Amino acid sequence: MKSNGDQKIKEKGAELLQFILLTMILFGFWLIMSGMWQVKFLVVGFAASLVIAWVTRPLLRIPSQTVPNKNYLAFNLPYLKLLAYVPWLLWEIIKANIDVVKLVLDPKMPISPAIITFEKSMSNPIAHVFLANSITLTPGTVTVDLKDGIYHVHAITEQAARSLVPAEGEGDMSKRVADLFNEKPANSGKGSAV
Amino acid sequence: MKILAVFLILAGFFFTVVAAIGVLRLPDFYTRLHASGKADTLGIALTLVGLGIYNGFSLVSVKIIIIAVLIMLANPIGTHVLARAAYRSGVKPWTHKGES
Amino acid sequence: MTIDNLFIAVLTGLTILTMLMMIRVFKGPTVYDRLNGLAVIGTNVILILTVSGFISGRVEMYVDIAITYAILGFIGLVVIAKYLEGEGNGKG
Repeated sequence: MKSNGDQKIKEKGAELLQFILLTMILFGFWLIMSGMWQVKFLVVGFAASLVIAWVTRPLLRIPSQTVPNKNYLAFNLPYLKLLAYVPWLLWEIIKANIDVVKLVLDPKMPISPAIITFEKSMSNPIAHVFLANSITLTPGTVTVDLKDGIYHVHAITEQAARSLVPAEGEGDMSKRVADLFNEKPANSGKGSAV
Repeated sequence: MKILAVFLILAGFFFTVVAAIGVLRLPDFYTRLHASGKADTLGIALTLVGLGIYNGFSLVSVKIIIIAVLIMLANPIGTHVLARAAYRSGVKPWTHKGES
Repeated sequence: MTIDNLFIAVLTGLTILTMLMMIRVFKGPTVYDRLNGLAVIGTNVILILTVSGFISGRVEMYVDIAITYAILGFIGLVVIAKYLEGEGNGKG
């Protein structure tokens, strides 16, 4: 662990980077939405994005779930790793949809829904957001409740439940998300059917 | 390029139809969420991307792609918020044993 | 078949789907079923707006309306779901 002062400076730098990034994203959104290139519109847009990025600073500082007195920034994502993660997620989404199509159009409707719970302790709340959203978009599972790292997932078939929470080890998806955010694979992956 | 756009639009429309049938046909609230949360998201996104490709590269296409990305992000969140509200109010999931 | 006919066919199909979804909104046993139906209607309406923009030839206007509709619909859904959270067992 480094000294406290170093940590403070590092957090300040990350926050400044996020501020600049957010201003640029908002200004880009303004440019696309307005589609006008006169100077007065550009100045108004830039001023508005600056003010919004400044005012929303405290909202984007999210406290860690396990480590006390540590904050994460909402836009401080591992963008390079996301480039590899998103195509995999898209492929999973397409598989999920073919699954749903089969289930819905089958006249017998072979479903056996159940709610399963499992625990996955991660320090970064943004990682939880990613994992919950990915679970919702992938085959046969919808995140129902998430509190303090305990997931309640509604699975539509037993096969879907087993692919998310295998009998031993942890599921492919939670491993990938933990990898994405450099989370240590600590005591997690213990699932139980309810 | 036009053929790809038409294919994407038709595929997206198909998924939207499946989502609607699923929401009408499945037995309980949580299973209906599976239909609306997955098939609808992909259906809308595919159709919008198809329309964007059909329109060619312009500001309007960029806006259409922005809507698609927005829906890809917002629809799972909406599904999750609904599911959590129902779960915390004690809506029981349907099972083969209960048959309720 | 010209592309305009395809757009009109898709638009008609989407309108029928929206009407069908009203069945779920009126019938749904729990209030969450009704909300789910409304969410699906909301996403369908975004598509209807964009496609009708292509038919009428004024896409740039309709796309702006669609973006506004998407954002407002999402915020409305989240607010209503939050409001209903933990309100009995949702019968009604």
